[in-house]
Amino acid sequence: MARLGMVIDLKRCIGCNACTIACKQENGTPEGIHYARVVTQEVGTYPQTKRTFLPTLCNHCTDAPCAMACPTGATYIRPDGIVMVNHKLCIGCRACNVACPYMNRHFIERGLLKHGYSGNGISPLEAIKFADFDEGTNIKCTLCAHRVDQGLEPACVVTCPTDARIFGDWEEENGKLQRLVKERNGWALLPEYETKPNVYYLDA
Amino acid sequence: MASQELLIAPHRFAVGYFRQTFWNWLIGTAFFLGGVGGGLFLVSLLTRHVAGMIAGFLIVVVGKNTAHLLFLGRPERFLAAARRPDRSWIARGIWAMGVFMVTGFVTILLQAHSALIHLSEPAADANFTLAAASALFIACYDGFLMRSSAGVAFWRTLLLPLLLFMYASLGGITLSLTLRELHGEIPPAGLKSLEHGLIVANFFLLAIYLYRMSRSLPAARETMRELVRGSYARAFWGLVLLMGLVATLLFSLLHSTLHVSVFVGLIAGCELLGDFSMMMLMLKSGLFGQQIAPTNNRATAF
Repeated sequence: MARLGMVIDLKRCIGCNACTIACKQENGTPEGIHYARVVTQEVGTYPQTKRTFLPTLCNHCTDAPCAMACPTGATYIRPDGIVMVNHKLCIGCRACNVACPYMNRHFIERGLLKHGYSGNGISPLEAIKFADFDEGTNIKCTLCAHRVDQGLEPACVVTCPTDARIFGDWEEENGKLQRLVKERNGWALLPEYETKPNVYYLDA
Repeated sequence: MASQELLIAPHRFAVGYFRQTFWNWLIGTAFFLGGVGGGLFLVSLLTRHVAGMIAGFLIVVVGKNTAHLLFLGRPERFLAAARRPDRSWIARGIWAMGVFMVTGFVTILLQAHSALIHLSEPAADANFTLAAASALFIACYDGFLMRSSAGVAFWRTLLLPLLLFMYASLGGITLSLTLRELHGEIPPAGLKSLEHGLIVANFFLLAIYLYRMSRSLPAARETMRELVRGSYARAFWGLVLLMGLVATLLFSLLHSTLHVSVFVGLIAGCELLGDFSMMMLMLKSGLFGQQIAPTNNRATAF
């Protein structure tokens, strides 16, 4: 049984947000909704200051609280560990939004699919991509399941110019994910929430 | 200035705590009406007060359900929410609501117009028990629902369902007393004292809740700070504590002594305002945890 996930090497991340853009282009998410984003922080005091970057996405948690909270079963976990939403079952109760400590669930407000980014109605690309969405329901990162099913890696992974995002299977014994986390003492976000995330980070 | 002082994140690409904005005033209203309506029905059922039962039933069935339906993104699919009572408190709430609507209505008919309906004694007893149990469930399941919402640390305690149950009981008793006063009825012995006791108990429970949160996860501690000293402090101290508890108790004690009818409206108004404010503040002040790398903590210690 696979358990797909990702390791993000913060030493390699340059904060270019190419993953953010690649995800937007691949999934065509509506305005204001980003499955992948790079959280930027300026730390320290002058003259000893620096910027740190933290690329984020859905953690596809093994104990996904969003799936637990969903009253309809619209949010479910695939056998390969990807947490998905069947928007035809979603009632828009937003229980998953308040259940996810990482805020990686996104609600499509009424009217959001009626206008695109340009402000001049929806573009041909948006018309195609928006067909996958349903107003009044929730969406989330699918780990590019449509690409994974074809043997491809997620768009954010293949786009990263510094190979900071490493995609793989956690169940692979001594595979690249397990090895990297062991060697470089990897960590996950908000471990105190006990969600068993499948996205780990390596120190900068 | 160290960036750790920027506690509330201005946008999704910045570091900091995020405010809970997904559950808005409609959900707050639904939770509030569920508590007050369920509490009123239960108190009225136990004290055999038909007007209170009808009012409680309508507050829950019309008020709470309307607010829930208005909130849903796809209200036409709401019945699908009953699919997973084994895992979801929303699903359990839908089932309880179904039971309450049937048994509550039958109970009111039996009490108000017994000629319209005939039930054998065991069936009437079972209906009474189910109506009471479902009203109790509706009055406090929202607390369990919020507690199970893992993202907001301030809600992750069993004290929350207890607090909502206590507020539901207080709201139910206060409204029951108000309705009786308006009808010129004498309230059952002890109901007034129970109201006073609940006000004091709620005060201590709130204090215990805040103390517990001050020793919980960082996001819960920050929420507590927001409530006590931050941007929600005025509403918390003024509406929840001063109006909702202190003024309610004061007016209630004055009414017990002076028997001036104007106090009846003041008691109900203050209690309901405090109850609603508490519910809304619980929702609005909730924060999601900061997503920061451990390296950031080291970096700020230059």
